Amino acid sequence: MNWWDDVLHRAVTEVVLVGVLAGLIGVRVVQRRLSFLTMALTHATFPGVVAASIIGVNILVGGAAAGAVVALGVAALSRRPGQDAAAATGVLLSGGFALGSALVATQSGFSRDLSSLLVGSILTVDATDLIVTAVVLAAVTLLLTLCARPLLLTGFDRAGARAAGLSTGLWDVVLLLTVEVVVVTVVPAVGTILALSLIVAPAAAARLWSDRQPVVTGLAVLFAVASGLIGLSVSTRWNVAAGAGVSLAATGVLLASWPIARARVRGDAARSHPIG
Amino acid sequence: MIEPFTVPFLGRALAELVLLAVICGPISVFVLARGLSFVADALTHTVFPGVVLGVVAGGLDGLFAGALVAGLVTAVLLTVLTRGARLSDDAATAVVLTAMFSIGVVLVSRRSSYTADLTSFLFGRLLTVTPRHLAETAVLVVVILVGLLVAVRALLFRSFDPAGAAAAGLRIGRLDLWLNVLLALVVVAAVRAVGTILVLALLIIPAAAARMVTDRLVVMALLGTVLVVVAGYAGLLLSWTASVRYGLASTSGSSVVLLLVLSYLILIPVRLWRGRTRR
Amino acid sequence: MASAALRYTGVSVGYQGVPVLTGVDLDLRAGQRLVLAGPNGAGKSTLIKSMLGLTQLLGGTATVLDRPPARARGLAGYVPQTGTLDADFPVSVRQVVMMGRYRELGWWRPARAADRDAVDRALDRVGLADRARHRFGALSGGQRQRVLLARALAGEPRLLLLDEPFNGVDAVSQEAIVRVLREVSAAGTALVISTHDLAVARELADLICLINGRQWAAGPVGETLTAETLRRAYGGAAIEVADGRLVVVEP
Repeated sequence: MNWWDDVLHRAVTEVVLVGVLAGLIGVRVVQRRLSFLTMALTHATFPGVVAASIIGVNILVGGAAAGAVVALGVAALSRRPGQDAAAATGVLLSGGFALGSALVATQSGFSRDLSSLLVGSILTVDATDLIVTAVVLAAVTLLLTLCARPLLLTGFDRAGARAAGLSTGLWDVVLLLTVEVVVVTVVPAVGTILALSLIVAPAAAARLWSDRQPVVTGLAVLFAVASGLIGLSVSTRWNVAAGAGVSLAATGVLLASWPIARARVRGDAARSHPIG
Repeated sequence: MIEPFTVPFLGRALAELVLLAVICGPISVFVLARGLSFVADALTHTVFPGVVLGVVAGGLDGLFAGALVAGLVTAVLLTVLTRGARLSDDAATAVVLTAMFSIGVVLVSRRSSYTADLTSFLFGRLLTVTPRHLAETAVLVVVILVGLLVAVRALLFRSFDPAGAAAAGLRIGRLDLWLNVLLALVVVAAVRAVGTILVLALLIIPAAAARMVTDRLVVMALLGTVLVVVAGYAGLLLSWTASVRYGLASTSGSSVVLLLVLSYLILIPVRLWRGRTRR
Repeated sequence: MASAALRYTGVSVGYQGVPVLTGVDLDLRAGQRLVLAGPNGAGKSTLIKSMLGLTQLLGGTATVLDRPPARARGLAGYVPQTGTLDADFPVSVRQVVMMGRYRELGWWRPARAADRDAVDRALDRVGLADRARHRFGALSGGQRQRVLLARALAGEPRLLLLDEPFNGVDAVSQEAIVRVLREVSAAGTALVISTHDLAVARELADLICLINGRQWAAGPVGETLTAETLRRAYGGAAIEVADGRLVVVEP
């Protein structure tokens, strides 16, 4: 029997791939404070997924299209003077989800899929899902490596980035679309809540351990993969939803990291004297 | 246009929405001013474990108490965590949201009818609102309105100028907790009837849409309320007509949300035009 | 003995146990204007916030209006830096100035004629009576600063704290602010003004306190603003030019 035929083997592989992907993008999401946007994306891909499954297109395509609309919509709305990005994100989130649920209502027997959208169905991933995740992982890694400098500069110092001749708007869109691609890839396998949790919690935990970007990124990936594996084993042993198990494991990692942060603050205080 | 609402359940649904409109207009102004959209979203999700535990413990009566407890716990957690400097506000909110919702899912996934529970939590049961629900909502609406009125001045000062408000002796931490508790109460009041998605829309969109046409806070609050009433009426009428006349199933909650979103989108050009003429 | 607006003896202030500024000795009485001068990052904002108990007191004794600093909140007027405020916030100029009356109004009581008069007087004083119904964010930076000053004046404080009130302010507004500050101090209000602009400091101060991580000098302007103290506080060469004004050259 092929190793890939075992449901659990496939699930473990997917969790590892998704963990690496989530850890990588999570560092950017936490740094740029895009958690709410990520949440909005997880929900707003919903009408795309539903529409795609109604007309019989690959649901990833539908999700990607809907997510891109939201990512660009938020970018456009929050660039206008006097438009608050958080409010715009919230509007698109609830609008997207309502549209999805309105579409669902026109179909019967869809509610089962709906709950799997929320908490995922990691035990049903097939070989195609794995390949898609691996390809997206490769692409995102490549993009984040090649564009590390402009992304860092636009995130840290917008005026400086503009002075250096970068288009901050363009780079914002690049980042949003990258997050969007990750979300779209991850959600069908692991659900909306887990996607958000796995992107934010490990990166936030890693940030407590270090201030240096490469270290934070490495730790975030490590934490995300570890939470995935812990959550998965908890879920198979005690028969709870896998998505919820992973999400709680990620929260646990963050809680465990809390004392480290406190210790580091004291250490910093002893070493340097901030002014201002 | 009135006739469908003589059907009792439709009339009650509209009454519920009107009650909620009264608080959502003013409270959404503060959600907008303080940038609490994500906190509102988090609250709509974190009451879920409370709902589950409440139902397990005491059936439908327990639901209310469970949601209330979970809502208050979240309000405290979010206030404490977002004041700490170690975690950015949005990351802390995301973690509380996912962790509490996951606890709810763990609880519910050990029961058999779990997809139905989740679905009704998400979309609510606007058309099964009973007179008793209405009475409970009305009580909460009064409590929230009073809670908002006594603190409105301090909340406004704190939203506009945190440093100035602290200098004037206002307790920022307590004010933030107060507003989060009020938000939690709105969610508790609304979530059973209208579901999480509509609650979120009600907490964010009224003021965000009204902001497009006015700079005045009081006008924003009033317009927000009017908008919810109009969208509620039209949404219910729309979904009723769609299902009775054309046999199209559509959830009434999502019709209301979509109309609210539509009004927001339609008003964007107004805002842009005003921005141009003002300068 | 006249009561002191501000009395600091050997004070250190900072955040989370880390000192930002040490060795501060101040004594300010009614009607005096104290300017806190020093380069950016010297600890000026921290010191001003300490006067309201908003930063940690790590050593020494501090009283503000004869009470512990935190108890002076609401009694002392505070003018924050305008840059920290959300320009898009939907409040009118009038609403902002009315915030200065919140101490009298409490959480509930509707504004009375006396409150409205105080607001009108304050706005009139800074020369913005005609802008009362405008949105705060629609004003220029200098006008916003004057609105915030009006807000502090509306509370009729005995002590007024201003954090960099001349940052990014146009000449007309600067002149208006200086004039108002002279008026209120003549009427007996004690003033604390932070600035990194030594020309303004010299023009406005009765007393000056030169800080950068610690207090380098404090006292009457003439004795305090010398090339020597400036060189020490700014850590660079201070050159005195012909008209008696000092120019600091960064090393």
